[in-house]
Amino acid sequence: MAARALSKSGRFDKVYKLVIGSRSASGVSKGSLPGPYPQTPEERAAAAKKYNLRLEDYQPYPDDGKGYGDYPMLPNRSQQERDPWYSWDHPDLRRNWGESMHWDFDMYTRNRVDTSPSPVDWSTMSKTLLGYLGFMLLMFGLGEVFPMYQPVMPKQYPYNDLYLERGGDPEKQPKPVKHYEI
Amino acid sequence: MADYKEAPLASRPKTLDPAEYFNLSPEYRRAEEERAAIRARLKRQYQMQLNNPLRKELIEDPALTRWTYARVHVLPNFKATPKTSLLGGLFGVFPLFALYFLFSSDRNKKEQQIKDGTYQRPYRLSY
Repeated sequence: MAARALSKSGRFDKVYKLVIGSRSASGVSKGSLPGPYPQTPEERAAAAKKYNLRLEDYQPYPDDGKGYGDYPMLPNRSQQERDPWYSWDHPDLRRNWGESMHWDFDMYTRNRVDTSPSPVDWSTMSKTLLGYLGFMLLMFGLGEVFPMYQPVMPKQYPYNDLYLERGGDPEKQPKPVKHYEI
Repeated sequence: MADYKEAPLASRPKTLDPAEYFNLSPEYRRAEEERAAIRARLKRQYQMQLNNPLRKELIEDPALTRWTYARVHVLPNFKATPKTSLLGGLFGVFPLFALYFLFSSDRNKKEQQIKDGTYQRPYRLSY
């Protein structure tokens, strides 16, 4: 295909060279991608501007080699906690265009982990749940140790405990089985 | 709700945060104003692109690009500190060898039992 392009007229050749020479217009410049941990205050200011955060709000992850770089540490709140009535740019994600995403954004979507406040506080919830489960376990355990049911006896069959039906010899006389007492 | 208590998985909602209602200092107000200004600028940028009648392509979100890039390029920012080495060893190296030895010893024991003839097969090999 390259040979065919070169063999065409000179005008096409110039256009071909122009296309290769120009940068593709993707919109992402070198300075707008995440970089290493910011060391100087100027780097911090530049990083805060890059991530559309205030300088005071911008807090990168601690530089302990885990690989975060200069990505900001946003509060660990799920998307479900955000105001449902505000006019978000992306209402299903409850997020505005250009807003820095949390590192675990895919975990904090509304389908997944939810950090919303619970109606009752955590200790009451755990106590209620564990109390109920513990009580049920205890009662079932006691029921296994001390079974209680209607008194039953083995089933009594007629015809000498069904001697012929169970394959007994028709010539022989079976043992008489008495299920009663007078 | 005056006695609401936070918990590890239950944060305090912004509407119950006392800082929103009492002692609103000028610094706090100024900070909120700055955040609102940034938000408004981004909203305007988005709306201008969204409602542009001559736009043919998708609107690219640089925040999304940055997030994807950051999540992928973890290795360039990785440093071998004692903590990361410990974690790597604990989750990567140790289970490898531990599972190897566990499985191999268990299977050797079973093999020895089969050879001695003491192994009870739970299922029939053939009918």
